[in-house]
Amino acid sequence: MSEPLLSVRDLSVTYHTKGGPVPAVRGVSFDLEKGGSLGLAGESGCGKSTLAGALLRLLPEGTDVEGQVTLDGKDVLTLNPGGLRAVRWTAGAIVFQGALHALNPVQTIGQQISEPMLVHKTVKGEKEAKTRTESLLGRVGLPASRAGAYPHQLSGGQRQRVLIAMALACDPLLLIADEPTTALDLMVQAQVLSLLSELKEERDLTLMFITHDLSVLTYACQRLAVMYAGRIIEEGPGREVFADAAHPYTRGLAAAFPTIGDMSSRLAPKGLGGDPPTPGNLPGGCPFHPRCPLARQECLPEEPELRPAGGGRSAACILV
Amino acid sequence: MHPGVSPIVEVEDLHVHFGEARAVDGASLRVMPGEVLALVGESGSGKTTLIRAIQGLQKATSGTVRVEGKSQAIFHDPAVQMVFQDPTGALNPRQTVYEVVAEGLRIRKDRGDELEMVKNALSQAGLRPAERFLPLYPHEISGGQRQRVVIAGAMVMEPRVLLADEPVASLDASIRGEILGLMRHLVDDTGLAILAVTHDLGLAWNIADRVAVMYLGRIVETGPTEEILDDPKHPYTKALLSVVPETREMEQQILKGEIPDPSRVPSGCRFHPRCPLLQSGALPEDVAARCVDDDPGPVALDAVRAAACWPAMATADRSDGGRAE
Repeated sequence: MSEPLLSVRDLSVTYHTKGGPVPAVRGVSFDLEKGGSLGLAGESGCGKSTLAGALLRLLPEGTDVEGQVTLDGKDVLTLNPGGLRAVRWTAGAIVFQGALHALNPVQTIGQQISEPMLVHKTVKGEKEAKTRTESLLGRVGLPASRAGAYPHQLSGGQRQRVLIAMALACDPLLLIADEPTTALDLMVQAQVLSLLSELKEERDLTLMFITHDLSVLTYACQRLAVMYAGRIIEEGPGREVFADAAHPYTRGLAAAFPTIGDMSSRLAPKGLGGDPPTPGNLPGGCPFHPRCPLARQECLPEEPELRPAGGGRSAACILV
Repeated sequence: MHPGVSPIVEVEDLHVHFGEARAVDGASLRVMPGEVLALVGESGSGKTTLIRAIQGLQKATSGTVRVEGKSQAIFHDPAVQMVFQDPTGALNPRQTVYEVVAEGLRIRKDRGDELEMVKNALSQAGLRPAERFLPLYPHEISGGQRQRVVIAGAMVMEPRVLLADEPVASLDASIRGEILGLMRHLVDDTGLAILAVTHDLGLAWNIADRVAVMYLGRIVETGPTEEILDDPKHPYTKALLSVVPETREMEQQILKGEIPDPSRVPSGCRFHPRCPLLQSGALPEDVAARCVDDDPGPVALDAVRAAACWPAMATADRSDGGRAE
């Protein structure tokens, strides 16, 4: 196996709030090979976006981040500001969710795509930045003439394409896509996913994909990690994890998607009972036990660690 | 189509134009008591404008909207209630659950036992025991519970029809099923009707009895859910079905671009510039020419199963001895 592009070891993130410390990520470790793709799935509040933010140190000041993040050979958590600037955009870039607030409403989209190139001096000057911006716009499926448009003049799908072009501005090695398809209709979602997978092939990108929608990930990602209450509770090859989950939580998530044609889900929507736990107030033992259909006495004493679950997967459940 | 039962909502040849833009352009549909009709289409198809017209929030340019047989002087008709996409935005953060749900009753100056009615609506929406939720503020409950509060606020008005605009799109995938299950129960238990607007045909499989597919202001295909999802006739419906993540045995047909600007509706069949069937070159020349030049017209109000597509109608003609639907 080649050296991983991204290596995360025992990463923990704690926010400090008026109500006390809130552990959002609690000891996450994984590797992502160069050219690979990893999907990170979980419900609101499971810590997946916090994890993404920690990888490029984009979290609010005063947040405790412990553990180790190695991206392209650099120890991200100990870098000085100059080193950190060099890593952001060029080693790793984030595609944010394409809502209006991810873009500056008073700058043209052309200016916003050129800005990181000029700041990071990956182009010689304004003229080259303009040419490159236009070619990026073309690549994500927008006419170069749209460079002069403002965000409000674009549709949701077009804004998502702009955010992808922006993330590609400095030719990053790692692209982190945080809910890039949420709030888009299914047709645009399919367009965005196919664009991302084309770009991945073309540019040999490494892709990390974060979403609450497990079904999106299984087709877009080679590997899939499922988070619950700040930890990875199942990890393995994408298709297997979705089709034959080892952890009862993953099974519940997967079952929440209707299969058209499957009569058992016809007029019988399935959901996962209960609500995810609040990060500041986790239940003892396995944090999933209050919602788990298979919970038993043995789940209560301690939180299970990830263990091998067959088929290249691992799961944090005493039943595997 | 349902002899002896009259529709709760009937929309006939509805047009809503904003200047040159024909947001709704000849749409017809019916919603019967005790059924869920899924109105499916991409962003920009006119779905939201159509339900705003049903609700009386949007004046029709022409055509009719009838609710329980009465024509559209229905603004504030308690029989029609809305469930919005984003429960967090729909709830006032400074009102308790009790106040949110009671508000409609107060506006209507209902003289019944308010507390009892609010509690009933909350338990109907699956928030049990209701007493526990009454004093809570929206930020103290989960996203799924917020959407239940929105539904309780609608149900307390004893509506005949709920207009649900993407009722689960902003919720976590894991809790969507529970909210959809609740909606289906309300329909089965109380004879309520639901018009559910969505871009996701998977949702239709989950809760809808019938499907109406909308494109650029019109219904282009309609029929019972099983039939439409098992054997869609319109190339647009086929494409929408192919991008539902759980139907990957179908080859994905990702349409290029987005729905055209409704102020520039294409000639002929309005879908023809994006139609994969026409672009495939597989159509006989005369049919292809028709797609480009002649408007197949909207699906008729009385159609049980129909697709506004020349090639589909030609096939139906051959197999059914001349019946276009």
